[in-house]
Amino acid sequence: MAKAPKLNSQPQVVTANHLLSGDVVYLTKAASWSRRIADAAVVANVEAGAALLAEAETQAKKNIVIAPYLIPVDASVTPPKPIQYREVLRAEGPSTEKARPAA
Amino acid sequence: MPLLKDGRLVGEDAFQPVADDAALPESGAVLVTYARWQAEKEQLSGRNDPLGIVLPNTLDVLDFGAEAERFDLIVLTFPKFSDGRAYSQARLLRERFGYRGELRATGHVLQDQLWAMQRSGFDAFEIPRDDAAEAFAKAISTFSHVYQPTGDGRVSALKQRLAIQNKDGRRKQEAAE
Amino acid sequence: MYEYDDIDQTLVDERVAQFRDQVARRLSGEISEDEFKPLRLQNGLYLQLHAYMLRIAIPYGTLSSRQLRGLAQIGCTYDRGWGHFTTRQNLQYNWIKLEETADALADLAKIQMHAIQTSGNCIRNTTTDQFAGAAHDEIEDPRVWCEIIRQWSTFHPEFSFLPRKFKIAVTGSPNDRAAVRVHDIGLRMHKNAAGEIGFEVIVGGGLGRTPFIGKTIRDFLPKQDLLSYLEAILRVYNQFGRRDNLYKARIKILVHEIGIEAMREKVEAEFAASKDGALKLPQDAIDQIAAQFAPPAFEKLSGISAEYANAFRTDFEFGLWARRNTFKHKQPGYSIVTISLKKEGAPPGDASAEQMNAVADIADRYSFGEIRVTHEQNLVLAHVKQSDLPAVFKALKAYDLATPNVGLASDIIACPGLDYCALANARSIPIAQQIALRFKNWERAHDIGELKIKISGCINACGHHHVGHIGILGVDKAGEEFYQITLGGAADEQAAIGDLIGPALNTRDAVDAIDTLVETYLRLRNSSDERFLDTYRRVGLAPFKEAVYAVA
Ligand code: HEM
Ligand code: SF4
Repeated sequence: MAKAPKLNSQPQVVTANHLLSGDVVYLTKAASWSRRIADAAVVANVEAGAALLAEAETQAKKNIVIAPYLIPVDASVTPPKPIQYREVLRAEGPSTEKARPAA
Repeated sequence: MPLLKDGRLVGEDAFQPVADDAALPESGAVLVTYARWQAEKEQLSGRNDPLGIVLPNTLDVLDFGAEAERFDLIVLTFPKFSDGRAYSQARLLRERFGYRGELRATGHVLQDQLWAMQRSGFDAFEIPRDDAAEAFAKAISTFSHVYQPTGDGRVSALKQRLAIQNKDGRRKQEAAE
Repeated sequence: MYEYDDIDQTLVDERVAQFRDQVARRLSGEISEDEFKPLRLQNGLYLQLHAYMLRIAIPYGTLSSRQLRGLAQIGCTYDRGWGHFTTRQNLQYNWIKLEETADALADLAKIQMHAIQTSGNCIRNTTTDQFAGAAHDEIEDPRVWCEIIRQWSTFHPEFSFLPRKFKIAVTGSPNDRAAVRVHDIGLRMHKNAAGEIGFEVIVGGGLGRTPFIGKTIRDFLPKQDLLSYLEAILRVYNQFGRRDNLYKARIKILVHEIGIEAMREKVEAEFAASKDGALKLPQDAIDQIAAQFAPPAFEKLSGISAEYANAFRTDFEFGLWARRNTFKHKQPGYSIVTISLKKEGAPPGDASAEQMNAVADIADRYSFGEIRVTHEQNLVLAHVKQSDLPAVFKALKAYDLATPNVGLASDIIACPGLDYCALANARSIPIAQQIALRFKNWERAHDIGELKIKISGCINACGHHHVGHIGILGVDKAGEEFYQITLGGAADEQAAIGDLIGPALNTRDAVDAIDTLVETYLRLRNSSDERFLDTYRRVGLAPFKEAVYAVA
């Protein structure tokens, strides 16, 4: 599995899976969780990333999400786009289901 | 640490654990490591009080089983609940070597594994929680049947069904007569 | 088919209650994710990339029409209206919510199904020949033994926390359709010199990071000793299998490290001590289970049915399908039908609720209400009267279920890959779809003949790529999806691990390479009877390698 590389000063967001639904979620500026990466709080340096992750881990302890981690994103586009294709797939959903009628 | 024996909380553990480098007390029930037993067999065998031993879960119990009878307590370890070696050790001690003394589980002992431990032959558990007795009672009553025989004597589903079939068969036969 | 009695039903119901309680304890914070994870996994609940995935056990791949309809219903209620059939003869729902899992499991219990031990380091669902009880070349119905193993292994107290997962497969036929040589334990039924039927026991096969073909630990095991022997193997493994390294924890590594002789010595010693114990199977207990797998009420038929012969002659499409997708039945006048879930361009193994319901109806009407799941991700109607084949074809076709490609290049096995799986390096399904489309032309596909392409999205090898005639493995190369190609693997009685042809290729080049490989084969084969695999075995890697890498 290609896990997130060590991040330095680059745009980054925190992602996790929601405990109850399993959905992919992103930590927002208001320290809540959103299913849309567009709502994610984007920070751009190591300290801010660490702080964001610390907040997320507190919430993981409260059994809201599972296993939060930081991912690098390209913040020059809207919504921000993950750098790794694994995270692109997480953000957008399976490429195979695009053709499938959503239920 | 709360100790549960036969489903009930035991106030005080009768066995005093003795570190490998500590002197043995004059008298009283002691719990020693496998290493110490190996080194001081004669001396330990000479004691008149109950003797307990902690076995590492890496031990091949086939090398120890013949001595099991000598002990009043055997403690098996679960370094992590997901490390299941002690289940096999327990069954071998009970079923192969006929060990009848106390068989105690220690380490990462969680509610959801108590059922399997009991079926494997454990009758005592160190459980790090205050409601250990309730948790235990709940855990072991989870399933009303068993699919496989172990040393706990419960009849497997396969044999239960046979018994039913045979009874039905007899009844039919009687009815016919 | 096996029907639950009160004992089975009670246990499955109690399991649902237990899991409901475990979920409640997780949500209340009483148990941590670390402690909960193995519990949910033992109930088949994974956390994947986008959501939870629930894996349902389909014991030895056999389903009743009622069960299949139930699965369709559950797919609609708790998922997005479909399910994915896997190489392990299981079904996966990809969009399950933790809070609804216990309800889904309760619904499953109502149709005598469960997700017990579909994950975790325990004995998994036992798999077998999808043609069990029907194939003309079968010695004995292996499902009887699978069911006996199912019961013995379910909630086995000693083996719930093995070093690693443990998979058992059984074949009752000399033509191995269950890949028994690449399982932790493979059981092959055969007759000894005295004419008794028993098992060859094979141990230590497996795919994943270090693939191994299993080794024979015992040539002949009498039936009544099956469980004692399995328990002996498991007990040795539980105590001596490695626990220091996840990738070295499978029994194949133990067998490899201590050698098959030492392994045999330990197992036989354990077996000798326990063989006459409580696990010895009384004949009447075997008979009791076997009675549940009694053959259905076949009609006595003889000769070739006129409807069948006529359709074969006049309906070209039907003929194509009947040639590819049916298999010889042991009962005269009957055939086994494989339902392809591999329409070119569709995700391999997926079935919509509508399709599941249709198959259930067709099975009720034409195949004694029985359906099988194959490890090649297709479905099977085990007992179809030949005279009904034209009608079955028509009915299947209406639901896109009659693609005549079983065993052909477009009948691809693919794991979920990076579209779903959190462990993946690369996607598997899209590349399978692209490759299948290249072989959509039936003339070409049928000319190429048998060709097994198997795709995994990472080295865990859920898509069996090691044993594909052509294997494709997804790797991550500097942040891009790349694919390694292997040739010459096989999963049958002549099991072999494929050879790597060279450096990994990007998606487009990999799809092109498959075309090139096939063209090379067509050029090199002696005759149209020589399969891809045979040609490869005859000429070796070099010409294929050259063809793929020459272009650059
Ligand atoms: C989607 C979530 C899945 C996860 C997380 C997963 C995980 C794994 C892992 C970690 C292994 C390697 C085990 C080892 O080498 O010790 C493995 C092997 C395997 N899995 Fe999966 N798997 C998944 C889906 C599937 C599916 C969908 C299938 C069937 C299509 C499948 C069938 C297999 C098979 C056949 C093997 C290799 C044979 C062996 O056990 O050596 N898995 N899986
Ligand atoms: S092979 Fe890898 S990518 Fe494919 S399902 Fe298995 S673990 Fe996931």
